[in-house]
This record gives sequence, C-alpha cells and structure tokens, in this order.
Amino acid sequence: MAERIVVTAIGIISALGTGKDAHLGKLRSSQSGVGRVAYLRSKHADDFVLGEVKMSNDELAKKLGLPTGDNGYTRTTLLLLAAMDDLLQNTDIALLRNEPFAFINANTVGGMSKMEDIYMDVITSGTDENNNKYINTLDCAESTENVASHYGLKPLMATISTACSSSSNSLLLGARMIKQGLVKRAVCGGGDALSRFTLNGFYSLKNVDKNPCKPFDQNRNGLNLGEAAGFCLLESESSAKARGAKIIAVLSGYANTNDAYHPTAPSPTGEGAARTMQQALAMAGLQPTDIGYINAHGTATQNNDLSEGLAIQTLFGKTPPYFSSTKPFTGHTLAAAGIIEAIFSMWAMEEQIVLPNLNFETRMDELEISPVATIPEHVPIQHVLSNSFGFGGSNVSLVFSKA
Amino acid sequence: MKQLLYISAACSISPQHTYDAENFLRPVVTSDSSKLYSLDADYSKYISPVAIRRMSRILKQGITAGMKCLEDAGVKTPDAIIIGTARGSVTDMENFLKDMINMQEEALTPTGFIQSTYNSVNGWLAMLTKCTGYNQTFVHRGFSLELCLLDVQLLLAEATETKHILAGGFDELTEEYFTIRNKIGHYKDHPLDSFSLLSHYHTPGSIAGEGAHFFTLSNENKNAACAIYSVKMLQTPGSEELQSSIQGLLSENGLTNEDIDILVCGMNGDSRNHFLIDPLIAGCSGNTTIVTFKQLSGEYDTASGFGLWLTNYLFTHRQVPAELIYKQGASDKIKNILICNVTIANCVAVILVKSARP
Repeated sequence: MAERIVVTAIGIISALGTGKDAHLGKLRSSQSGVGRVAYLRSKHADDFVLGEVKMSNDELAKKLGLPTGDNGYTRTTLLLLAAMDDLLQNTDIALLRNEPFAFINANTVGGMSKMEDIYMDVITSGTDENNNKYINTLDCAESTENVASHYGLKPLMATISTACSSSSNSLLLGARMIKQGLVKRAVCGGGDALSRFTLNGFYSLKNVDKNPCKPFDQNRNGLNLGEAAGFCLLESESSAKARGAKIIAVLSGYANTNDAYHPTAPSPTGEGAARTMQQALAMAGLQPTDIGYINAHGTATQNNDLSEGLAIQTLFGKTPPYFSSTKPFTGHTLAAAGIIEAIFSMWAMEEQIVLPNLNFETRMDELEISPVATIPEHVPIQHVLSNSFGFGGSNVSLVFSKA
Repeated sequence: MKQLLYISAACSISPQHTYDAENFLRPVVTSDSSKLYSLDADYSKYISPVAIRRMSRILKQGITAGMKCLEDAGVKTPDAIIIGTARGSVTDMENFLKDMINMQEEALTPTGFIQSTYNSVNGWLAMLTKCTGYNQTFVHRGFSLELCLLDVQLLLAEATETKHILAGGFDELTEEYFTIRNKIGHYKDHPLDSFSLLSHYHTPGSIAGEGAHFFTLSNENKNAACAIYSVKMLQTPGSEELQSSIQGLLSENGLTNEDIDILVCGMNGDSRNHFLIDPLIAGCSGNTTIVTFKQLSGEYDTASGFGLWLTNYLFTHRQVPAELIYKQGASDKIKNILICNVTIANCVAVILVKSARP
C-alpha cells in the first residue's frame, strides 16, 4: 500500500483575515467577511456584496516587507505571498531549500486585477514606466514564479487553471508527485484577487446575487465573489514523522473527473459530482457513513446547488452527514476556493466542529436534505469531504482523515 | 520516474502544412511580418455549426487537433485529457476585457468570459468524447506542455491497465499579445524572412508564432512509431547545468552522446541564448543530425509541441527533410531523438524520444 500523504503546514488569507486564529474566530461566531468593498474599483462596487480581503495593496506590501506603490506585484501575487508568509510562520524555510520539492500554484486570471486598469495603455504605444512593471503579469504562472523567487526557492513549479476547482487540483497533483517519488514535499494551493473582469463575467452570466448568498436555499439567487489565497505543505507520513512535524490531517482520498456535459453548467442530476465524491471515498477506503462533515462547493447558483445537493442525496441518502457551504463567509474565491475550503475542512476535523451554512432558511423543493445552519459543538469527526466544481465540467473531491 | 509514453498518434495545426501532414513543407510557409499564424483546418468535421460561429480561432484549432489526434489513434473516448496553454483563448479574453472597458461594465455578453477560461478546450474535448475521466490544465508559461507530459507519466505510473490519454498544448497569437510581448523584447526589432530566422542569431528576440499540438499517449505500444522516455524541465539553467542534465538524462537511459541520431533543437534565433545553444551544438557527437523548427513554428510558450510533433513525424517517415537540417550528422538511423527546447525566458526542456519499433 502506498504511503499516506499528510498535511503539515497551512497558510491562508481571505476576507476573514490572515491565519488560523483569525479564521476560526469568525467561523465559530458566524461572522461573515462578505460586505461592501473598499478597494475594488468597479462601477458596480456599491451594488454588490463581495468577500474582499480587508487590506489595501500597500498594506499587504508593508506586511510583507515590500516597497509600497507600483512595486510590480499584482494583488494576486500579494495575496499568494501573504498566504505563503503565513505558512512559513510555522515551517522552517530550510525544509524547502534543502530537499526536492514542488510548488504548485493555481489561479484563474493571473494579474487581471492590475492589467484591467492599464490594458489600453500597454496595448498601444503607452510607455508609462509604472505600467510597464506589470506588463507581463496577465498569465497565471507569473505569480507562481514571483512567489518562488521572492523566497529564493527553486522548486519544480507548476501552475494549474481549471476554473473553480483549480487549487483542489494543486493538492492532488502534489500528492501524486510525492507518491511517485518525484519530490519529497509539495507546497500546493492557489489564489485569486477580485477583478472587474471576473465580477462582470459572472454578472453577465446572471450568476451573481447582489445580497448575501444563500447556498442550498430554495430562494438562492447566485453567488458572491471573493478573493483569497491558501497553501498547504504536503509530505509523506514517514517524512513528517522523521522530522517530528505535527500532522494536521491525512489527505486520504481524492478524485478528479469531468462532467462531459456542458461548458459552464453541471449535469442537472448531479451524476458527475456523485461520481467524483464516490471515487474519492473509494481511494480513502471509506463508506459514506464514515464522513463526519462535508464542505460543499455550494456556490448558491441555481445550477450548482441543485446538482450538488442531488449528488449528496444520491450518495449519502436522506440522512447525510452535516454539510455546509462556507462561501457565505468568504465569497466564492474561484481558484482559491478549493484550498481554503480544504483548510476549513481540516480545521473542522481538528476542532471537532461543524461550520455553519450561513443565510440558510428554506429547504430546496427538489431536495429532502438541508445544510447545517447552526453550529453543533463536539461532533466526532474522523473524516471530512471537500468538493470543488468548475466550468468546463471540472470536478474535484478531497477526503481528509484524522492522523 | 521511469514511465514510457507511446505516441499512438500526433496532430498539429500550425503555420505549416502539418494538419495535412502529407503536404508538410510543400511549400514551406513563410512570413516577413515577424508573425506566423496557423493555417486553418476544416473545423466543421468535429464542431457543430452553431458552436463554430461563437468560437475563437484557437478554440476551434485546439478542439479540432485534439479530436483528429484521437481519431487517428482509433480512440473514441480517452481515459484522461491533459492540456497545456500559457494563455488560453487570448482573443476571448481581449474581447471581454475591451468590451468591459469600452462599455463601462454595462450590457456585456458572457461568451468571451466563458471561452477565455483556461480549461475551456479541456471541457469541450471531454464533452465531445464523453470523457468523464481525469481532466487537467497546466498554465505554466514555457513548460505548460512539458507539465502535461509529466502528468501523463504520473497517470500511467499509477495505472494498472492499458490507458489512452489525450495530451496537448496550444497557444494563440494576436495583435495585442504581439504588442505586449514586443514591448518586453520578445521579438526582433527588424523585419526578416521567417525561414531565415536562425541566421539572425546576432540580434535579440525571435519571431511570434502559434499552434495546437495533440498527442494520444498510451502505456501500450499500439502501432506507435516512438515513445517518450524522459522529460526534464530546467528553469533558466546555466550552460554547465544544461550539459550535465542532458548527460544525466542520457545515462539514466543507458545512452551516450553518440547514440543520439537527431537533436531537434528549439533554438529561436535570440542572441541572448547563445550561451546555452553554442555549447549544446558544440557538444553534439558527429553522429548527430541537428534539426531546427522555430523558423517554421515561430516562438511561443507551447512551441515545443511543434518539436514533439516533428519528432513523431521523423520517426514515422524515417527520413529527415533537407530543409530542416542545421547540421548533418553521420548516423543514418533514426532510433534516438533528443528534443531540446529553449524558451524566450531561457528555460530549457529536454525530452528523450526513442523508436518503438523492434
């Protein structure tokens, strides 16, 4: 049997704050980070509630010890650096310098949050020197290379972009690389900054709720966008034990499948989502009844919640484990959603708590199950399941188990 | 990691006659604008007329190259689809972004937004082939395609039975993308005949290109002409690191310099990589014929796809077209080909491909 892959460090920044304590405090007290924005310069900014990180680019730069102003770092990169910085609070960076490791990042629109402000200048004869500092930031790998070089690291680098499942794919790729002996450790995750591009994209798809989103509710009306970044350090169980590292969770199962149904909509029966969860459980050697908590993708769009709700009902029956979407806390953070929700799932298991599905009122007509709306304490959770589904039919499920 | 990837089929849509591979180099397509755009294929064979009308060129090309590649391999539904693209559908991104700016965030249609999602070709190919298996998209600049090959190695190493995996890379050239890359010195600042690119090796920059290249890869030798043995990615190596990595890769495979019949060299005519290319060429054995391709493909992030397609073409046709020879070597066999791609950022990918015929 292949060696178990474990998580030994976590770094995170979202609308709830930076790091574990800030997040757990808000999650336990049902305080959402979603609200009016201070930094996104959109014409629609006052019409929507969004999960914005409550720090300006300059504040992020200061915290990271970088020059403020036009420093060449996009907000995407700043968020990723902040998450990496958080991870390194509890991890000796020498670990990443002395042995082969992979750095697997994910995002959906690269440095769009900056490029959308300067695009017309950079595609014409514009020669603004400050703009030119960002000219090559439109691709997704720019932030990956920037984060690695900021810390002077020379890892095997990869950048993934599979829409809203992107950073879940980072985790499973890192696990697979370690299992095949390609690297000893992997830092896996991803992030996205809010941009007008994505806000208007989802708005033009009529997928955005102007009010706080209501996942799995009969009266749900779309998603709230958010921004975040997160990373996990993965390694083999023996490697973690050999260096006496605290094991936060075991990544016991994962699956990546595709709906093969529609460019943006999931299969309405939830067949693809059910297959993905089933495969992840099978890899972990678990039955549905073993799962203590499901952190659902739960975007609060009509399509996702119907499909995912039916899939949970199909696989887990009419009395499923506690399940919730934590997107009302953070907004839908796109490429970051997979990693930050994986982190929330691990913390739920570590703290033996279930995270509430905020804003839930009315069960969906099509379902016989409801998400957990209040916080039951002291729930014995041995295994958790975290879902991420994206455009292009991309489905990923992750299973974490107690060490 | 030791895992052979048999190439069951390869398909290319590029600035050259590669989709209709029987006409390859007849004639050589050239450009004097520093831009090589792909030749159109018959997209209606695999994509419905309704979908075609909404799609950007690169989506049509990616989907068509992928579908043709599976058809040529006799595979209806692959076990996995893994694609690399540095920038996805650039046209769609540009259209949505400029509409958003010009229309001041009002009355936008979502087509460009949806299609600019980096995994949209993945999604379409999954739909058209009913492939519900593993689906992945790598977007890591000049290593986007190489990371796909690495992932295929992982998948096949995990497999306990025969698997057929569709892997490929695509990238698109647009006027705006050209402007941006030109500002950061990716392209030559003087006009030239694209086919003479490599003789302009004393000036910085290359010429722009685009293309879509797909490969049906398997752990089973089903009439494959060749198989990928090793893939190595080197981030901005020094010349010595490059040389020692190549020697390491060869010795891991029980080979020496003399065993390399052909070097498919991804030199791009940029004076700033002399320090890598010159020792690479000088280090070749007298046996090795050196073949180049960026004068045909142009330079872009997944241009190594053209090199891999060309490698499969050489194994399939068992002769080297004279137009491509940079330096003739003594070997008259085609058993071992080393691909060495140098990107505009001086990253280097080394891929060893060996004959799969007894």
